[in-house]
Amino acid sequence: MSVVSIESLVVRYGSFTALDGLSCEVPEGCTGLLGPNGAGKTTLLKTMLGFVQPTSGRATVLGMDIRTKGREIRQAIGLMPEQDCHIPGMSAVQFVTYAGELAGMPSDQALRRAHEVIEYCGLGEARYRNVETFSTGMKQRIKLAQALVHGPKLLLLDEPTNGLDPAGREDMLQLVQSVSHGKGVNVLVSSHLLPDIERVCDRVILVMRGKLQAAGTIKDLKKIEGHPIDVEVKETSGAFVNALMEKGFSVQPPKGTTYRVEGPGRPEEVNKTVFKVAKDTGTQIRGLIIAERSLEEAFLEAIKE
Amino acid sequence: MSNPIADLSYRNYDGPLTSPQARWWSIARQSISQGIKKKFFVTLSLLSASFYFVLLIVFYFVEVLNPAQAPGDKNPLLSMIKWNEQFLNAFSTSQLWLLLLALLIGSGSIANDNRANALLVYLSKPCTKLDYLIGKWVGIFIPLAVVTAIPTFLFYFYCLMSYREYGFLSQDPWLIVRLVFMIILPAAFHASVAMGISSLFNQGRIAGAVYAAIYFMTLFFTKFMQVAWIFSFRKGGSESSGSQFVANLYYMSVDGLQIGLAKHVLGTRGGLMFPGQGMSGQMRPRTGKGLGGANAPPQMNPAELIPTYGSLWLLTAVYLGCCGLALFVAWRRVRAVEVIGG
Repeated sequence: MSVVSIESLVVRYGSFTALDGLSCEVPEGCTGLLGPNGAGKTTLLKTMLGFVQPTSGRATVLGMDIRTKGREIRQAIGLMPEQDCHIPGMSAVQFVTYAGELAGMPSDQALRRAHEVIEYCGLGEARYRNVETFSTGMKQRIKLAQALVHGPKLLLLDEPTNGLDPAGREDMLQLVQSVSHGKGVNVLVSSHLLPDIERVCDRVILVMRGKLQAAGTIKDLKKIEGHPIDVEVKETSGAFVNALMEKGFSVQPPKGTTYRVEGPGRPEEVNKTVFKVAKDTGTQIRGLIIAERSLEEAFLEAIKE
Repeated sequence: MSNPIADLSYRNYDGPLTSPQARWWSIARQSISQGIKKKFFVTLSLLSASFYFVLLIVFYFVEVLNPAQAPGDKNPLLSMIKWNEQFLNAFSTSQLWLLLLALLIGSGSIANDNRANALLVYLSKPCTKLDYLIGKWVGIFIPLAVVTAIPTFLFYFYCLMSYREYGFLSQDPWLIVRLVFMIILPAAFHASVAMGISSLFNQGRIAGAVYAAIYFMTLFFTKFMQVAWIFSFRKGGSESSGSQFVANLYYMSVDGLQIGLAKHVLGTRGGLMFPGQGMSGQMRPRTGKGLGGANAPPQMNPAELIPTYGSLWLLTAVYLGCCGLALFVAWRRVRAVEVIGG
């Protein structure tokens, strides 16, 4: 089931078209929203929240229409914005409690829950400090806490690791991963940091110039057309390469001691042929795996198209 | 070693959530709570009620030092009192303190949120821009209204219990209703204008400085108009000869508008505490010579010093115009995202 369903969505700022007939589905689980700067990621999040009215098209969030059910949608989702944001003059626990009350929680429940999520986000005793005195990492955590306090069904995270040091980034990714797996919270992470997306998300949506460029599981996106395999050998061997090419295989120049080999037929047949050629040419195979692109390669390829 | 009882992993909230409608009350409650916790709130509130304390002290001494001549007689000084005027005087005296209170609780109401990007927090919850603005407005209005109302009604009920034989109720049976309207005037005005100005800035202090500057500049304008009024009054020798245009301009200041409207609401032109002492707001023709003889300096008539009434319609229109403009500015300025037209 999709948590977000978007059909031909167009959003314009004056004459500038930020989303240009975007159609996509965000399935349950953790999904990454990828795209270069200015691709329309943040506009898409803002449109889902009702901050920006679409010019045309249709979108539903958790089954609710974004044009008519803005309040209900915002009650069911949590937003962790990219920028620093807090309510001035409040301690962390007051801030998160207040965020809960704004979302419709009774005061006592909001206070109890605020302590719970602050603890979960690792702010500990800093909860009694004024948010304005927090470091960047702590501000990121408190933003996550205020987004989680009312138990949202969908969490929108806009650049959650922005400005974090490596340790803080690791902690934040762990928090996101923990929330999004097995806790019933669907997460949409908007980022241009591909390693972060790869780390926490199962699926990605790639947006480019306001249009959908690619969507699917990360595994599918990393797949290379034609099922090439990476063959790691003990030592590079010209005879091995020549023998494969004679059998109609294409072999890319080695990276270290690994050849990327692509041959006709099904993967099992290709593997069988590779092993046979290795045996015939006296080449020792150390490893053989189905070749994959990195997410970065997939991303660059998609935005080139 | 972690405590086996404490489960610190994420758990979903499955408790109650109220309807996403009318979230403004949560915002108002929070604004009120933050406002009344400010350092000088109580001090300024007490200062705004200071005229009532003065009145109580004066009444006490009037009763002690100038008692009724015989049992059953009325106190001659208290008999002269026009009760509506006492409330108007207290209201006028409290204006500066109410402004300071408005600056304290209102100037940063939206400006500080702008600085901290708090609008993203508010508007990403089930709050609309209208909820936000109503909540912020009520968050300024209620403290100001309560600060004005408490001493006013305490004084009203004290007088009701103590001075009924001096015409407290008989002079104006509808006084309490008039007082309710009088209390609303500064609270609504300051809430609207402070919020409108606050929405224009990212720093509460700057918004406060701008509002204070507007207050004092209009006050200066008022003083200028007062001089013009005195000249026009002296030229003609009576209030009716003073220019109505100047009289109206005299009330075109932050507190002038409110005092001018309060005069209409309370149905009084204002006057001093004991009108019978020759200082009432009643008209007396100016002779050009003092009452104390040919060489005595000419005595000033209060009507000569201050235009006693501004036009009700003009004052109401300007009052509503200022409030409406400020609210419109706030409405235009408050948005979750900056949308730049291409």
